[in-house]
Amino acid sequence: MMRSLRLPAAVVAGLLLSTAAAVAAPKTVSGPGPDPQCFKPWKADTKYMQWPKKDGPYRVAIVNGFVGNTWRIQMIQTAKAYAEQPGMKDRIKELKVVSTGTDVAAQLGAMEDFINQGYDAIVTIAVAPDGFDRVIRLADRNNVVVVPFDNVLDTDKVMQVNEDQLEIGRISARHILKELGSKREGKILEVRGLPGNSVDRDRHLGFREVMEKEAPKFQIIEIVGNWDDGTSQKATADALAVHGRFDAVFTQGGSTGTVRAMMDAKHPFVPMAGEAENGYRKLIAEHAKDGLKGLSYGQSAGLVAISMKAALSALEGNPMPQLISVPIPVEDYTTLKAGVNYWPDLTDNFFAANAFPACGVNISAPEIMAKDAKNVQ
Amino acid sequence: MADAALSTAPRAARGGSLALRLRQNAGLLGAIGLFVLFYGVYNLYHPRGFSQQVLIQNANEVFTIALVAMAQTVPVILGGLDLSVGAVMTLVNCLASHLVTGSAGEIALGILACLAAGTAFGFLNGCVVVFGRIQPIIATLATGAIAIGLALFLRPKPGGKLDADLSWAMTNSLGDFAETYGLFDGGQAPWFQPIAGIPVPLVLLVLVAVCVWMPFRRTLTGRTVYAVGSAEGAAFMSGLPIARAKLAAFTLAGFFAGVGGLFLAIQTSTGNADIPQAGAYTLNSIAAVVIGGTSLLGGTGGAVASVVGALVLRAISFNFRIFDIPPLMQPLVEGLVLLAAVSLGALRALRTRNRLELFR
Repeated sequence: MMRSLRLPAAVVAGLLLSTAAAVAAPKTVSGPGPDPQCFKPWKADTKYMQWPKKDGPYRVAIVNGFVGNTWRIQMIQTAKAYAEQPGMKDRIKELKVVSTGTDVAAQLGAMEDFINQGYDAIVTIAVAPDGFDRVIRLADRNNVVVVPFDNVLDTDKVMQVNEDQLEIGRISARHILKELGSKREGKILEVRGLPGNSVDRDRHLGFREVMEKEAPKFQIIEIVGNWDDGTSQKATADALAVHGRFDAVFTQGGSTGTVRAMMDAKHPFVPMAGEAENGYRKLIAEHAKDGLKGLSYGQSAGLVAISMKAALSALEGNPMPQLISVPIPVEDYTTLKAGVNYWPDLTDNFFAANAFPACGVNISAPEIMAKDAKNVQ
Repeated sequence: MADAALSTAPRAARGGSLALRLRQNAGLLGAIGLFVLFYGVYNLYHPRGFSQQVLIQNANEVFTIALVAMAQTVPVILGGLDLSVGAVMTLVNCLASHLVTGSAGEIALGILACLAAGTAFGFLNGCVVVFGRIQPIIATLATGAIAIGLALFLRPKPGGKLDADLSWAMTNSLGDFAETYGLFDGGQAPWFQPIAGIPVPLVLLVLVAVCVWMPFRRTLTGRTVYAVGSAEGAAFMSGLPIARAKLAAFTLAGFFAGVGGLFLAIQTSTGNADIPQAGAYTLNSIAAVVIGGTSLLGGTGGAVASVVGALVLRAISFNFRIFDIPPLMQPLVEGLVLLAAVSLGALRALRTRNRLELFR
């Protein structure tokens, strides 16, 4: 009996010891950190983390999940270009980019591999908001800075970089309500993103939060567009066929496809909120006078650059906010300017919002898309 | 009677020639060669190559896809395809995130329930195929959607929390496992040392293969699965239990997929009804089966070969972390290597004396 009691106790003690060793790496400290314009804490009470200072230059790995849409490709190219910029080039010894597909086991394996290879920082877009405990534990033991961005994790144990997705949903709802004037009844189309994803979830929740409070009488029709032009165009076409007419549209992505489906169905232009695809912005600029009163927010592919910058700053021993809120680049039909925030002569398929002046990240989108061949090599 | 007839013939041949057996397993041997090549190169160039950490990390990464590939193999040997393996894996993953927590007894029951759920779903697949007389590929396409639906019902959004000790113990070495649960003097027993460095998932993988798959393929039902894939008409005329074999094949597939899903839940400590991931696992399982040398026409191959296939699949991408291959070129390189790998299996076409041989 004694023995059976003692064993678990020893195990628990052993685990406590190992946990103590594991959490030793980043210390929780009080702010403020460097460069508060760029590394803005999410909330006033966001905690700060500090890693032991390491000497550069550093080895940085980017572990992307899904690859195969324009955004991800633009993100990878932005990372490559940013690492080559003066001021970054001499601080980064090696930059490795892998894409693991939508398989969490492969992504975990890749991250663990880079920890074992002795990389200093791992920047990642998580394929799931949970399930990274083991990797985080190993990273902490080895003093590796892990920075999830875009699709972040539901944890406060790592430093993360994102735009406030709830706020994006709220901004979209407010814009639509503003453009609808006093109309508070009817149908609204909501085109959602990739199911099961935290970005999709939060944008949806933010949108619904405002809509339910301000205009509960609207009937909101929800369809899934996967943030992809083709899927969103087809889903929108189906929804138009079934429901006939909508008073406003909120599309999370594949926005160009959403608008094209409406044009194909001869649906009148209505107030819209959507992503920052160049094609969508081109359509807004062209048809705003016909009623396409669009808002275009950008979940920018340039987030990767800010994440890399934050990782290096953490490696240099600076206290960093645990959750960094990057300002949301928003434009609407009144602020669009050709050659500044959209490019009429360029293709539809890139994300127009890419530069963050507050962070010294000034790689504009056409610059990335223009010299893609060079950057990929 | 049928049992005796079936078992004596191969036994006589087994004593026969090694060369024949090697030729029959050419696909598998090619896959093993590829794996040794890719994994060897990866370890040679890895700063911590051939170390315990790297082995553990790779074993964790490989386990689920290896099990899903084993799951896919059984229906493929039957001459069908199971498009629901990834979905069943995901379903059990979500179920585990609810059940595998609490006291030791609850965890044990939860694990049993998860395995039972996977097996039951496989059995359901078998029933639809056998009694519904529907082509496996279509039947499992439908049941796969049902499995994903159930998974989404269980976990509308990712979450849940599995037992942390279990997660740590199962995804590390045997030594860590013993330490966590206080076995063998906390993993310090002298006799235990030689095997303490072996990753737990690797041990599990071998256990599943040796204790489940290998005995199964020797039973009458197991050999009937091969016979059905080889020539269903002849199997029927020989009085083999075809319906039982089909039911068993899909049930076993459900079990393997369930083990994979359970491990993924343990590895990530959470459940996630990730639809793209389920699809990716199904597709990769088919790729692993083919790389392992199992013919999609049925009748040949084996689950162990598919495990090697899964290892090859993963080992290719391991190398992307070592060598500087442009990120956007990686899918292309992977595709080319895969194409080359499966083409090895087609090389036998060059050596046949009679074209008729190609049809079997």
